[in-house]
Amino acid sequence: MIRPVRILITALALCLFAAGCGSGSSGTTADGKTVLKIALWNYAKTPEFKALIDAFEAKNPDIRLEPVDILADNYSDKVTTMLAGGDTTDILTMKNVTDYARYASRGQLLSIGADVNKLEKTKYSGLDAFDLNKDYFALPYRNDFWVLFYNKALVNPTGADLSNLTWSSFADLAKRLTTGSGASQVYGTYFHTWRSVVQAISSAQTGGDQLGGDYGFFKNQYTMALELQNAGAVMPFGTAKNQKVGYDSMLTTQKAATVPMGTWWAAALLQEKAQGKNNVDWGMAPMPQITANGKVVTFGSPTAFAVNKKSKNAEAAKKFVLWAGSPEGAAVVAKIGITPSYTDDAILDTFFSVAGMPNDALSRKAMHPDTVKLEMPVSDKSSDIDNILKEEHELVMSGQKSLDAGIQEMNSRVRSEVR
Amino acid sequence: MTQMSRPVTLKRRRLRTALVGWSFILPNFLGFAALTLVPVVFALLLAFTDWDSYNTPKWIGFENFGRMLGSDAFWNALSNTTWYAVGHIPLTLAASLGLAVLLNQKLRGIGVFRTAFFFPYVTSLVAVAVVWNMLFSPDVGPVNQLLRAVGIENPPGWTSSTTWAMPALVITSVWRDMGYYMVLYLAGLQAIPAELYEAARIDGAGAWKRFWHVTVPSLRPTTFFVLVMLTISSFKVFDLVQIMTEGGPGNSTQVLSQLIFREGITQGRFGYSSAISMALFAIVLIITLAQFRLQRRNER
Amino acid sequence: MSLPVLRKDSTAAEAPSPIDLGSGGRTRRRARAGSRAGQVLLYLALVVVSATILVPFAWMLASSVKLDAEVFTVPIQWIPETFHWENFVKIWTEIPMLTYLGNSLFLSVVITALQVLTGSFAAYGFAKARFPGRDALFVAYIATIAVPWQAYMVPQYIIMQQLGLVNTRLSLILLQAFGAFGVFLMRQFYLTIPDELSEAARLDGLSEYGIWARIVLPLSKPALASLALLTFVNTWNDYMGPFIYLTDNDLWTVQIGLRQFVSVYDSEFAMIMTGSVLSVLPILVVFLFGQRYFVRGVATSGIK
Repeated sequence: MIRPVRILITALALCLFAAGCGSGSSGTTADGKTVLKIALWNYAKTPEFKALIDAFEAKNPDIRLEPVDILADNYSDKVTTMLAGGDTTDILTMKNVTDYARYASRGQLLSIGADVNKLEKTKYSGLDAFDLNKDYFALPYRNDFWVLFYNKALVNPTGADLSNLTWSSFADLAKRLTTGSGASQVYGTYFHTWRSVVQAISSAQTGGDQLGGDYGFFKNQYTMALELQNAGAVMPFGTAKNQKVGYDSMLTTQKAATVPMGTWWAAALLQEKAQGKNNVDWGMAPMPQITANGKVVTFGSPTAFAVNKKSKNAEAAKKFVLWAGSPEGAAVVAKIGITPSYTDDAILDTFFSVAGMPNDALSRKAMHPDTVKLEMPVSDKSSDIDNILKEEHELVMSGQKSLDAGIQEMNSRVRSEVR
Repeated sequence: MTQMSRPVTLKRRRLRTALVGWSFILPNFLGFAALTLVPVVFALLLAFTDWDSYNTPKWIGFENFGRMLGSDAFWNALSNTTWYAVGHIPLTLAASLGLAVLLNQKLRGIGVFRTAFFFPYVTSLVAVAVVWNMLFSPDVGPVNQLLRAVGIENPPGWTSSTTWAMPALVITSVWRDMGYYMVLYLAGLQAIPAELYEAARIDGAGAWKRFWHVTVPSLRPTTFFVLVMLTISSFKVFDLVQIMTEGGPGNSTQVLSQLIFREGITQGRFGYSSAISMALFAIVLIITLAQFRLQRRNER
Repeated sequence: MSLPVLRKDSTAAEAPSPIDLGSGGRTRRRARAGSRAGQVLLYLALVVVSATILVPFAWMLASSVKLDAEVFTVPIQWIPETFHWENFVKIWTEIPMLTYLGNSLFLSVVITALQVLTGSFAAYGFAKARFPGRDALFVAYIATIAVPWQAYMVPQYIIMQQLGLVNTRLSLILLQAFGAFGVFLMRQFYLTIPDELSEAARLDGLSEYGIWARIVLPLSKPALASLALLTFVNTWNDYMGPFIYLTDNDLWTVQIGLRQFVSVYDSEFAMIMTGSVLSVLPILVVFLFGQRYFVRGVATSGIK
């Protein structure tokens, strides 16, 4: 018995030695180049990162960008932990505005306000979300907003005009588009289980404040959604939630004729089609409105780059962040079917010239909304409120609570629980 | 306990025993102390501070605890967690013991069955969530079809209902964990001396009696271990709930670990999150110590 | 406080009984009576119950050969329309699956070996040696199990960062190899080993280390097997630890690798299931191998 133990210990010692020699972290310079580390997610599956990095390196041969690939699922959790440990990764991608506000207010990000304030701000959609007391700690490079995706083969035969839909005409259309039953069932539309599908759009279009503690303004939108659910024109919320139904498959396997969703989906749909995974002929229409006054109001959320305050190459990192948000960076992003934050006619042309992108007049109109409101306003209360609204959304949509009781609960919980 | 063959002074003997004892514990203790004990103590101290994970923690005394006791979310999560534990602990204990006894035989191919019963524990959680949610589906799910067939007219809504989601979670978790604890019981069963069964049989004890009078008492150290581990893991349950119901519908299945994760890593209120952890820790510790006491009494 | 002490089951030092008895002698008696029907019935019951238990696993298998869009459908499609076996080929090129499997294997083996070794060693101190402070220390061990990892993840990371070990395999090995689980499990098992055995060995002049290595350890094979199995599986399936500590792609484990198919907006669920099926195979092998130790060896009867 002694011998095997001794062998085991020796083997372990060797293993530990091998394990210790894991990897060396990259220094600042190698062969004279500045090496910038950039924290991002799913590098292999998120084409915009590679496109931006390649284009930037081509333009700045003295700088090399090294991706720090983090899983999308728990990206923020890891970045929070890394920063707590004093990590020096130079550039950090801001997945959402709430996290941005948190990092910035802790003093973990470098101010780039002096440079951002010089920009032509009106052309950068989503930029105001990053304004913290007239200072900026990140610059958005993409801004996704919500449109109505639809299956042309199912919608066009009805002759419906999607260019100027109101929610009530949308509801009628959804009922008309619903056919079949069981495995051959086609729903008129699909509402994904996120609360934004009902709440953010209603806030954007009514002007109601999601942080305000009075949620009466949700009522009309919920009434419409619940009515469609009762009429069987949309998959029941409980089913979608429990079976973890993917919105992508609802459209691509012809289970739903229309799906309101963010513009990020366009690039994914194109990619799937290129790989032969689906052959759906899809288009985009503006989100339905409360009144048909010709103005398109929708909501969205920007994605941005920021410089880590502990970065040892802050100047070079800042250079990248500013470039990625600039018209040049926007063109790179638009070329792969992603909606950049900076928008002008030239960028839109680039976007619609992407192979396979539907460029009919309706889709073009959809891509040019008049107003894009922020999905959820930024405050230190945002994520608490977000959580309450999400929980109550679930209860209302799954029929566990009546609409009125649900809204009342939102009001009282936000007032009493959020401090 | 350690008896010396040579007579030595009592003091020296004690010292030697202590040194020998420590020498056994030390290799494990060094790693354990540096990388588990220290962070744990640190985390518990954080409960008295306001900390954002980056700037210097600010000592605020019991403020976090006051806030916790006044928070509905905490009480809700605590009652959900307790509810889960009360269901999960006895059922898993019974199921895993039953399985272990059933599978502790010299049968051809028994290894395959043992493996099969362990598989729920290694099946991808996403698969677990989807399939069980389907089985529990209120209208078309097999569970409710069965219930209707036996004459229950209004079967529960399971994971779509705020009252029945927790029982559904408990059932799923028992199914998932029983193989894990079965492994521990299988090991424990091997330590029961065959002679005890032989003696019982000579006394004319039937199978059932032998189970209660030989197997169960002989397994006491294993049961104690299983019980403590089950208690701890039930109160710390996270993954399964996170993936199967995400704490919903509403917050009807939200458990303490989810709250700790949300308040800490997600929201960045590490002091407050530590306070909740400390509450969870205290509860588990009290239960575990009570189990120790009970165990000790049984041993006498 | 004093902890539960050992039962004094005196064991007769006679020839071991060759018959297995675990579940009581019900089956045994039947077998003795020559009733094959009982066995067949037992097998039938076992097959039916295990088949039911494995339903979610079947879904996992079916999904692994589907297209992404076919994975989550209502109603559930148990048999794929077309079998996309190419998923099992594609996954090796889509992600560096081989590297990930290698990393997982390395970590699981090293951590399991260390945990079993140091755990069983320390457990001897807790179970068979008496010294002041022993029980308090033991409670400290168990107490740490009771603290949720969500609470001390960040402090732990900061310590690792200070030690300069972040992004090395060593960090995970150090974190997981010295856990309290193994100590606790082995201590409980040692308590069932009669003291008479070690007393006798002591009289024969064996040191405490000798008793551990020659008497106690060989008797604990079933417990060592279960500790090794459970540690291996838990390390293999761990996601949050490797995710937080390993940043370089070539250090990643299978569980992190699989999450790569989960993207921000739409995920490749078929590939996730393909990978999950592949990642279960090593566990299958380890388990089938390890469970063989769940038999009564010379165990409690007749050591010498």
